[in-house]
Amino acid sequence: MSLHRNCAGHTRRDFIQLGLHGALGVGLCDLLRMRAHAETTSTFKPSASAKNVNCIMIWLDGGPSHYETFDPKPDAPAEIRGSFKTIPTAVPGVHFSEPVPELAKCFDKFTVVRSICHKDPNHGGGNHYMMTGAPTPVPVNCGASVTFHPSFGAMVSRERGVRSGLPAFMASPDNTRSGGPNFLGGQHAAFAIGGYPNSPNFEVSDVVLPKEIAEGRAQGRRDLRTALDRMQRFNDKLVEDPAVVFDEFYQQGFDLVSSPRAQAAFDIHREDAKVRDRYGRNDMGQRMLLARRLVEVGVSWVTINWGGWDDHRELFKAYKGDKMKNLDQGVSALLADLHDRGLLANTLVLVLGEFGRTPKVNKDGGRDHWPHAMSVLMAGAGIPGGQIVGATDAQGYHASENIYRPEDFAASIYTKMGIDPHQTLQTTTGRPVALVNEGRLIRELFV
Amino acid sequence: MRAICWSLLLVGCLTLSATAHAKAAEPERIEIAEIASLIAEPPRLVVRVGEQAHLLITAKLKDGFDTDVTDQATLSPSASEAWKVEVAGGVRALKPGTETLVAEFAGQRVEIPMEIVAAPADEPPTFLRDVLPVLSKAGCNAGACHAKPDGQNGFRLSIFSYDPKSDYDEIVKDARGRRVFPSAPDESLLLLKSTLALPHEGGERFDKDSDAYRALVQWIRTGMSFRAEKEPALVRLELFPRERRYRPESTQRLLVHAHYADGSMRDVTALASFDSNDKEIASVSEEGVVRIGKVSGQAVVVGRFMGVVGDSQITVPAERLLPPERYAALPVRNFIDELAYARFGQLGLFPSEGCTDPEFLRRATLDTLGILPSPEEARTFLDDPAPDKRERLIERLLAHPAFPDFWANKWADLLRPNPDRVGVKGVYLLDQWIRESFRANKPHDQFVREIVLAEGNTHRVGPAVVYRDRREPADLTTMFSQLFLGVRLDCAKCHHHPNEKWGQDDFYRMAAFFGPVKQKGAGISPPISGGNETFFFATGKPVKHPVTGETMEPKPPDGPELKPAENADPRRALADWMTNETNPFFARAIANRVWAAFFGKGIVDPVDDFRLSNPPSNPALLDALAAEVVREKFDLKAMMRTILRSQLYQLSGTPNETNRADTRNFSRSYRRRLPAEVMADAIAEVTGVPNTYEGMPPGSRAMQAWTYKIDSRTMDAFGRPNSSSDCPCERDVKPSIVQSLHLANSRSLHSKLKSTETSARVHRLATGELPPAEVVTELYLACYSRRPTDEELTLATAAFSTPGATRRTATEDIFWALLNSAEFVFNH
Repeated sequence: MSLHRNCAGHTRRDFIQLGLHGALGVGLCDLLRMRAHAETTSTFKPSASAKNVNCIMIWLDGGPSHYETFDPKPDAPAEIRGSFKTIPTAVPGVHFSEPVPELAKCFDKFTVVRSICHKDPNHGGGNHYMMTGAPTPVPVNCGASVTFHPSFGAMVSRERGVRSGLPAFMASPDNTRSGGPNFLGGQHAAFAIGGYPNSPNFEVSDVVLPKEIAEGRAQGRRDLRTALDRMQRFNDKLVEDPAVVFDEFYQQGFDLVSSPRAQAAFDIHREDAKVRDRYGRNDMGQRMLLARRLVEVGVSWVTINWGGWDDHRELFKAYKGDKMKNLDQGVSALLADLHDRGLLANTLVLVLGEFGRTPKVNKDGGRDHWPHAMSVLMAGAGIPGGQIVGATDAQGYHASENIYRPEDFAASIYTKMGIDPHQTLQTTTGRPVALVNEGRLIRELFV
Repeated sequence: MRAICWSLLLVGCLTLSATAHAKAAEPERIEIAEIASLIAEPPRLVVRVGEQAHLLITAKLKDGFDTDVTDQATLSPSASEAWKVEVAGGVRALKPGTETLVAEFAGQRVEIPMEIVAAPADEPPTFLRDVLPVLSKAGCNAGACHAKPDGQNGFRLSIFSYDPKSDYDEIVKDARGRRVFPSAPDESLLLLKSTLALPHEGGERFDKDSDAYRALVQWIRTGMSFRAEKEPALVRLELFPRERRYRPESTQRLLVHAHYADGSMRDVTALASFDSNDKEIASVSEEGVVRIGKVSGQAVVVGRFMGVVGDSQITVPAERLLPPERYAALPVRNFIDELAYARFGQLGLFPSEGCTDPEFLRRATLDTLGILPSPEEARTFLDDPAPDKRERLIERLLAHPAFPDFWANKWADLLRPNPDRVGVKGVYLLDQWIRESFRANKPHDQFVREIVLAEGNTHRVGPAVVYRDRREPADLTTMFSQLFLGVRLDCAKCHHHPNEKWGQDDFYRMAAFFGPVKQKGAGISPPISGGNETFFFATGKPVKHPVTGETMEPKPPDGPELKPAENADPRRALADWMTNETNPFFARAIANRVWAAFFGKGIVDPVDDFRLSNPPSNPALLDALAAEVVREKFDLKAMMRTILRSQLYQLSGTPNETNRADTRNFSRSYRRRLPAEVMADAIAEVTGVPNTYEGMPPGSRAMQAWTYKIDSRTMDAFGRPNSSSDCPCERDVKPSIVQSLHLANSRSLHSKLKSTETSARVHRLATGELPPAEVVTELYLACYSRRPTDEELTLATAAFSTPGATRRTATEDIFWALLNSAEFVFNH
């Protein structure tokens, strides 16, 4: 009977093979995938192109307001609709709120899902749910950084492995609260690109040679290392010598540093000044530009972690300021740029936070946490432009039409990237865990 | 007597005359052995009419091996009025009577008396005995199918049948009774779906001509009883063969017998599920056929039936065993060596050579202290001609001031909560308490008692913070059993452990010790958890079984009834039981953890997963270590001394012909990557440029960091545990691309090489007077704890005369090359 499952977990050797194969591009993921296929009658068949889809996720930590972005409620009472006007978009009949004029103009390039919702009003829990597709098994704090389940980026890293020395999962300036790999292991943690990309001395650390080391000297160092790294290697697979895996990674690391294409991608200063202007001369805008350059050379998942969206006070003042302007300009430039370069078809773009905001404006002129309604921008990878999916009720309290859960969001993302959302993973203790529990696809993204 | 040919058996060939053919194909595999006798297991069959009974036919060979010939042997007569042979070794009983079966193979024969008894007429099949096993074997209640949290298409079963009553109701009463149709059993949805007569996402689970189908039909037809009135409890599972030595690439059928409380037995081979702990040594099919792989070693196959497990122990000796004289000539420093060599003898392993002095110095210092020896220490040690210099080094290491932080950090990995959850102050306080415990060399039993019995305010009492983090009795049960007993009870929180005997009773009776722990104060509710609370004992708040709702009396897993007094904190009884010298888990668990810290893996590995299906690689050795821990009153330094002094610890990592595939018996030293904190500190130490950490005093080492929130790209790259991740996790020790990129290109390492601080090693060497050869020697001593060979010296010093090189750039470049080499990155 084909359905018999094995809960004993991996043998020690499975894990060692992970190291070896991971370096060669086929990892435990394949092992697991094969096993998952053998164990469940999964019919998942990714399209050939899905395997080449990369993702840029712009994470607005704190939770942006759906009212003041993509789901305005002009007919609601004043204490709900707020003080912004609505603006027309590229699609007749669809209106956004006034802080996103540029996005309104390029609405033909993306879908807004207005009906993803959940029930966790804490930042910690909401972050975890939207970043992994799994709710936290216990309530967690607002201030919390928790991981109970692998994040999207970490899972993508495991499926894709290292390509030409490039870590598959990068985050800038740092990883999100629940963006960790959990039981997938540290080698699938995000590669963080810190620093200030708008600054003239910005450079990506670790993947480029320190400036003072000229290429000739770097080659000399490598030669010297080759000559001096004399600890014996045991290539016999049975020995399970970790130094052999170490060598694979070094080779890939050197390939990366000597790849003109990859090195050019990391050097944001080589970008046309006009393009840099288009994204906005600010760090977040430039991070989006850097993200484009990274996916262009084959990084599979880039998270831009953008904090400061928890506007409990003076939300309207805040949304009139630079934050919103930078978001509007940056995301619209990113979509246009990806489109112009022919990259949108294989780049998934996601813009979201952990939840929406309360319908009633509070006494401090802000809005509080509200997981029952939120707007998620999704573009690229075949997602139609100019589409609104689902709806909230007349006053924006609750998702009310075509309601989707975070699990559905997760299943859709994985499917777009050619990863079977219904596969079963095993934790380090051998416990089987569904990658996505019962997620169904957001149909409107797959037309 | 006829000879048989191994390679024939493995291809399942029936004719013995094909020897020549096999010989031509793979002559080196041919090995001739003679059959001494044929045996049958069980030696006598008792079987009910209508049921199938299985036999194992085994050829006992003159060379001491046994081989399974069940598939090749003939059973005769092959059919009679009373029975028929259905599959190899499988007989179905048709009519009551006393019969004799004869098994024959290669001229040998064995008789098997068989008693066929009538099936009791008044005993209709029951859900527990007959139906649930069938559904389990068919995979219906697999985690990916109907045992998903929400079931599948409205039909939900409990995982591993932990809640049979609910499963019964789900089938019999739910869905308006559609799932079963007593007046026409064949029309039951349950059967239509599983035979794919109706579309079923899970495909065909069995066909209409199977025992499974017949059992279900019969059960539905006869009134669907849940359990018979005096249905005996299943008490034990027995696997045949219980243990056996195998040749590589042989096969073996398994038999599974279920024994019930009333003394009855049932052949459940067809209903059991199987799993092997090491699929490379032995894999097992769903039918219970074991296939031995090509490598020697040991494995366990576990059979599971209705929450009870049994095991079959597998040993695959090396092709060639070595004469005892060879082991007798080996150095024996203490009992570790004696017991290890005994094991090696059984497995045909021969230990690698002893390690060199520099290897020992570097390895022992890293394993005991988490730091590298300085070049001065290396010189002194290497130049010391005294024969007892290793013993003296061991004493210095055990008394070194870096010792407490290194060992405290190992426990902090496991105990340290997320500061976002419990608050920064609590995390810091617990961290300091752990460090203080190791500075005081607190005996391990006392250390654990103070955690288990923690009381008081979380802003004053470090270990109380564990209770703030693990707030529920269930969370404490999981943590304490895993950390202190080496037993993963976690599975049993929700269902029977799939590969162990633990069930929900065990779990919640353990949890009952923590029911009366009360708290008052600021909980961990949003938005921040900076407050404090006080934990104390007060009666009340019993722990209930989640399925039966029964109030659980505290009892440790596999332990005695402790019956704590009503107004006494039951945790005291638990702590007394745990730390008692006769406790079967406690000393073994810590001995194994300490062992793993020195050898890179446990005798039981993972270190916190003791179970039938994960046996120790050397049980006698683990027992002896545990006995020593007890003898030394849980002073762990005593055990560390024994380990460090053993020849086993002092072996080289270079494999020989016999032990290249040995990855669990410690017959050679296993290479291990430096852990995150050790790497960060080692880089700072060898370059002479300290790291600075936010929120820590200047000069603090990575090993002293008390939360993962202290920024360090190096520690992140090398996999420090992140306490925001929910588990007491073992560290990630694998190499990764990020590590290579970081060491090769990082700004921080680069700036340490470029530094012009007076303490910076490059700066000091570059501005000093030493000739290039001595510069190189110092770098080698700093990074590798050894001097360069002549050849290395020539290669490295050549960097000083490269065109364009300065004394400074050459020193930097050589240093960079060494820091990026495997010999630096690994503890070897």
